[in-house]
Amino acid sequence: MLILTRKPGESIVIGNNVTVTIVEVRGDQVRVGVEAPRSVQVHREEVFQELARGNVEAVAAAQRARGALRKRGAGAPPGRSRPPRPPDAKPGPPPS
Amino acid sequence: MMSPALDAPAHEPDDDAGMLEFPDGIPGFSQAHHFLLRDLTDDHVFQVFQSVEDPDLSMVVSVPWLFFPDYAPILSDEDQRVLGLERVEDAMVFCSVTADDTGEELYVNLLGPFVVNAQSRQGRQVVLLDQNWPVRAPLPSGT
Repeated sequence: MLILTRKPGESIVIGNNVTVTIVEVRGDQVRVGVEAPRSVQVHREEVFQELARGNVEAVAAAQRARGALRKRGAGAPPGRSRPPRPPDAKPGPPPS
Repeated sequence: MMSPALDAPAHEPDDDAGMLEFPDGIPGFSQAHHFLLRDLTDDHVFQVFQSVEDPDLSMVVSVPWLFFPDYAPILSDEDQRVLGLERVEDAMVFCSVTADDTGEELYVNLLGPFVVNAQSRQGRQVVLLDQNWPVRAPLPSGT
């Protein structure tokens, strides 16, 4: 890993179009600004990992999910009818 | 200007609208940029979200409001800007569905919904920071 020392107000540039600026250092917290093209999505690392884990899990579970839906009787082949919504769809959280 | 709260299933995914582009890829699968959304069930409740580049990359998805009517994701200004979403009617929202090891319980990812601009067909997976939506919300049974 490349390690650089920067002061508040200083930046590093990654590639041609990503700039990371140290905005403020206060105690054990560092505020960081990121300028990147719109095609580059910027996440906190732990949030990115959680999304990635969720997606990998969803892909791994795709067959099981289809099987579970078939068991629930929701796996008929696609047709052309479009009922507005299943009559027995229940809200998750209780109404407030 | 659209209201920041997406509180209604404004657009349901459908199977004949063609390909969706995810310019950033999705976390965990950054190389996949083009996806198809096909109906999985007759009642249009569940779809298969499948990569064009890698057909093995597919997941079951659903429109969250069918099961969680109180779901009210608030998109960041940044996500709205990047997606070019100016009207709430243009937003197509769907969430991945996973199963536990036994295949008995199903869960919906409400933390990181996929949001697509139905006009441009471009989307991204957003993350709803500080809104307390779970990554594994049990799918109500009896559906």
